[in-house]
Amino acid sequence: MTGRGLRRHLDDLVAGRRPRPFRATPDEADELRTAIELRAARPGADEPREGFVDGLHARLAAELGATGPAVVPPSTGAGSGPLRPVGRRRLLVQGAGLAAASAAAGVAVGHALTAPGDAADGSGTITPAAGVWQTVAATAELPEGAVQAFDLGTVAGFVHRVDGAVRAVSGSCTHQGCRLRLDTARNLDCPCHTTVFALSGALITHQLPVAPPPLPAFETREVDGAVQVYAPQA
Amino acid sequence: MPTGEAYADWEAVYRDNVDRVYRMMFAKVGNRPDAEDLTAEVFLAVLRPLRVSASVGEVRAYLQATARTVLAGHWRRTLGLEVTTLDDEHTAIAVVEHTAAAPPNRTRAILAALPANYRRILELRFLDSCSVAEAAVALGVSTANAKVLQHRALRRAAQVAQEVRP
Repeated sequence: MTGRGLRRHLDDLVAGRRPRPFRATPDEADELRTAIELRAARPGADEPREGFVDGLHARLAAELGATGPAVVPPSTGAGSGPLRPVGRRRLLVQGAGLAAASAAAGVAVGHALTAPGDAADGSGTITPAAGVWQTVAATAELPEGAVQAFDLGTVAGFVHRVDGAVRAVSGSCTHQGCRLRLDTARNLDCPCHTTVFALSGALITHQLPVAPPPLPAFETREVDGAVQVYAPQA
Repeated sequence: MPTGEAYADWEAVYRDNVDRVYRMMFAKVGNRPDAEDLTAEVFLAVLRPLRVSASVGEVRAYLQATARTVLAGHWRRTLGLEVTTLDDEHTAIAVVEHTAAAPPNRTRAILAALPANYRRILELRFLDSCSVAEAAVALGVSTANAKVLQHRALRRAAQVAQEVRP
């Protein structure tokens, strides 16, 4: 017999109310998933309310302070958690070759853009004074779109193939050197301060007062079915 | 928007993705109040720290990763379960990619594989939004019988759903 918790949860679901929590067994979770799938399959069911889209937009605008002076909205609205005041914020655009494009598009820039390849802040390409070519993966292991972590002792990073070309970036955060890990969205996450980098090395998000520079790249080549990076010997 | 381009500002991120994220959430939770709250949670979590954007594709990937984390928290709070039971990576990606036509086909396939009375009670309850009592009247059975039927039908449909992967 279906447990009372699940029955009540299903009644809420059908009535369009917020379903009440209950302690589900794995079987009940499977049954609930099927019921949810049926609910979601109704034509037009997943159409967001007009009021919701605009309401959340207004809430975010207040939160991000992008449409005028920073306003702290009362945290009484439906939804998750209290809002905290945040000053005027802008989205900066950064990445190889994007600096000029973003300037042309009139994107406001809060601090200097640093494109990969700019050696002034230590990012760009890693060029060891005495390096050797070292194999980090077999060509066969790295089809289009694949990513592999490598650790050569002296340096660690991630190698991937995009548009046929092999690229490798450092696996250490440019903030304080914590070891980055590959997440399910194929980005590189820093465990220390929730900074996120793209596999291109570009910074995606951070919560630091000053944006850390993008990840430096390694020189790469493919020789006789081996993917190699130029790095210091261990 | 082409995934290689960049967003001009947070509003562009929001306008381009709010529909996508909401629909994914709705597909996962099947009700509006939760879908709205979870969508808000995703954008608040993503836009607060977001100052730099590499490309549309990377922002979307980050939205999706955040949505998955938010959903996992929702199921822990709601059912006391860890992620795996209700978060299916394949559907998460498929829905974010906006395959609006796919779920109904899959739903039809699941329903078609059920005995007629099982199919009927699930249609009455979850597609037509009948209460258990209303469904019982439509089926000509008692309310208690309708509850048992719903339970057995859902159980069977859940088993079928495992076999009918997208």
